[in-house]
Amino acid sequence: MDRLAYVARRLLHMVPVVLGVTILAFFLIHLIPGDPARTLLGIRATDQAVAALHERWGLDKPLPEQYGLFMKRLAQGDLGDSLFYRRPARELIVERMPATLWLLGFGTILSILIAVPLAMLAAMKKNSLRDQAVRAIPLVGLGMPQFWVGIMLILLFGLKLGWFPVGGYGHGFGGHLRSMFLPSLTVALAISPILIRSLRASMLQVLESDYVATARSKGIPEWRVLTRHALRNAVVSTVIVLGVNIGFLVGNSLVIEIVYALPGVGSLMLGAIFNRDFSVVQGVALVYGLLVVFIYLATDVVHSLLDPRVKLD
Amino acid sequence: MRGVRPAKRWWLLVGLVAVLALSACGGDEEEAAPPPPAAETAAADTGGAAAEPAPAPEPAPAEGPQPGGDVVIARVADSTSMDKTSVFDNESIWVFQQVMESLFAVTPDGKDVQPWLAESYELSDDQLTYTIRLRQGVLFHNGQEMTSADVKFSIDEASAVTGGWEWINAAIKSIETPDDYTVVITTKYPWAPLLADLALFNNGIIPNGYAGQTKEEFYEAPIGTGPFVWDHWTKGQDLKLVKNGSYWQEGKPYLDSVTWTVVGDDNTRILQLKGGQIHVNEFPPFSSIDDLTNTPGVVMTLFPSTRTDYLLFNHNKKPLDDVHVRRAISLALDRQAMVDSILFGHGEVAKSFMPPQVPYYDANSPGLQFDLEAAKAEMAQSSVPDGFEIEYLAEAGDVTYEAIAAIVQDSLKPLGIEVTIKKLDPTTQFQEVQKLNYEMSHSYWTMDIADPDELVTFAIDPDSGAHSFFTDYRNEEAIKATKAAQATFDPAERQALYSEVQRIAAEDAFMVFLYHSPYRYAYSDKVQGFVVYPTGNYHMEDVWLQQ
Repeated sequence: MDRLAYVARRLLHMVPVVLGVTILAFFLIHLIPGDPARTLLGIRATDQAVAALHERWGLDKPLPEQYGLFMKRLAQGDLGDSLFYRRPARELIVERMPATLWLLGFGTILSILIAVPLAMLAAMKKNSLRDQAVRAIPLVGLGMPQFWVGIMLILLFGLKLGWFPVGGYGHGFGGHLRSMFLPSLTVALAISPILIRSLRASMLQVLESDYVATARSKGIPEWRVLTRHALRNAVVSTVIVLGVNIGFLVGNSLVIEIVYALPGVGSLMLGAIFNRDFSVVQGVALVYGLLVVFIYLATDVVHSLLDPRVKLD
Repeated sequence: MRGVRPAKRWWLLVGLVAVLALSACGGDEEEAAPPPPAAETAAADTGGAAAEPAPAPEPAPAEGPQPGGDVVIARVADSTSMDKTSVFDNESIWVFQQVMESLFAVTPDGKDVQPWLAESYELSDDQLTYTIRLRQGVLFHNGQEMTSADVKFSIDEASAVTGGWEWINAAIKSIETPDDYTVVITTKYPWAPLLADLALFNNGIIPNGYAGQTKEEFYEAPIGTGPFVWDHWTKGQDLKLVKNGSYWQEGKPYLDSVTWTVVGDDNTRILQLKGGQIHVNEFPPFSSIDDLTNTPGVVMTLFPSTRTDYLLFNHNKKPLDDVHVRRAISLALDRQAMVDSILFGHGEVAKSFMPPQVPYYDANSPGLQFDLEAAKAEMAQSSVPDGFEIEYLAEAGDVTYEAIAAIVQDSLKPLGIEVTIKKLDPTTQFQEVQKLNYEMSHSYWTMDIADPDELVTFAIDPDSGAHSFFTDYRNEEAIKATKAAQATFDPAERQALYSEVQRIAAEDAFMVFLYHSPYRYAYSDKVQGFVVYPTGNYHMEDVWLQQ
């Protein structure tokens, strides 16, 4: 019950945050110079045509009034129409959401699959050769830009070995799984170094604690000590690190979406910014904002599930 | 106990994911596995083809066109809308041109138009009335036959929009339909570019009354007479058209379908082509042309285009109103060096503001070329012989445009001209230029129709709405010749007028004509008959895939 009440309270706290996101999203894109009508009409735009479009889109009204309209529509779940695609921005975002969610979800899972075994391997024998090797991974991993890693993975697994498609999203679940593997791996390679470092450190701490010594003295096999006793306790702080990084990744998925030609929200956002497609930019910013807030909330809840000592208040 | 369960779930999840990951590696048979690397697909006989200006040396096929096959074209950006009357981006235009066709079509050399859905035409003696005979038995994709009523509806529709291409139809006074296969178009004044205007995509022919749909519904899945029929469009991902089995050109199209995908990253498009995932890579960067030319199985072709890049002068800003200053700057720029460094040699220095692929281009136009001594002599005669400071507005984030800015800055130093580069994001830069809120900047042009008037009026007539290509250049003689050419039907007379305009524009150096650059396409050597016209469009009904 406590947890439910906590979630409800956190959701309530989200209201001002979301309001702040709408204000930022709306005014930032409106304040930078650039006129969607001129972008749309191109080099042959006439002043009359520009004025006609402004009127049609309501851009001739004062900014606060436009914001009011935006909020009024938002309350009804309407993000407005995309100025370029001439369709509701909500529809566009919903269409693009699956690819981005795939990327985040699959990427997170792969990063856990990479980080957990490696961190355990390193923590088992502190300062051993394999520990040194694993500790070097974050240094290398964090030093490689994602777009470069992406291209390298495509070159190797897509072009040379032909195991995976060279970019694209694929069709159907199997197609998505195959197409999203390399992009998600790129994401995983970016997050897992941080996870490895955090998990290794807390594993080492836990492995030195009394209850692990007790477990060992009872003759429990080492792998069981590691998985049942050490990892479970060590993973708690790593969950926080993971949550923060997924939040960070939401904004960074853009680069990966471009390199892998994924029809995600990030690439939609990029085009919308260049075209000053206001409704889409506002909509995506809002969705990103919500996504990050929800991921942080989920992180806290998972944290409390893993560690009963964590009080949710 | 409660504490243990999550850990168990945790490992269950990991196990499940491992299985999924493995199955991902194993591959999904339904999904088209990438064909073997291009190197294995025996293409040595084409020699990789040449990155020479087209006509490209197509590999000689053993037999004629083969039917069947699905071609995938990858481009940088997605289409935005299929509304032919008011869409400006090429990614949309080049797609819907396969669906909706016009009465006339641009010839492959880009210099003329030929009857397309029209069969023939006659011009009245007063040069005001065009009587156009329509091709009979042409069917729309819904099976209905095209008649004059559809033609009238389509052209009227294109003229009636605001904020679209309606200005191209400004000369049309009325359209009449004496019978099902005859259309009579009357113009308000003698208007030589009319057939070229009718060939523009905005005048594509669609069924009368949108075949019973609303305009919005219609352009969600447009119907035309073209070689390909609308299939689907997943925005941001792919747009697919399928073969029109009852196309009026017998035996065509050859392909079963054409799909356009969106691949924003230049490198990824190149890798997809090499990996066989796509057939055509639209606009690989200039830096990759040599590599693609030497890639087995890939044909790299540079099609002559009408793209011409310019440096703009704002004539309202001193001292750019001084013709000697403009000439000095124009003479101080080494255009060949720009072509070599920016286009990696794959371009041509410009001698006229008109591209060579436009009718009435004058190869003898006296466009100024690099000559530093002459530049210094011009400066000495100018109002600012000791030089001056000026701001150059550049598009940020684009290697090409930033390189142009740097070259300009460097080249003008010997004249004592100190250039400060101000970088703005491309959208903002373009708008500042349109508002004449700049001193010097960069822009470019591509033709949409096979008649020079579109460009010449835009660039020379300050009252046309574009302020003489956003420069506010005004030369009464040139304006007079431009207007006269619009009403001149005799080719020799028209040539004389346009040569005159090009001469004046070059001598006035009203902007710097930098270079003409080609359309870059890299495609699989299995793709045959793929030709890009100077206006940028291509006819997919002529394309076939070697099996």
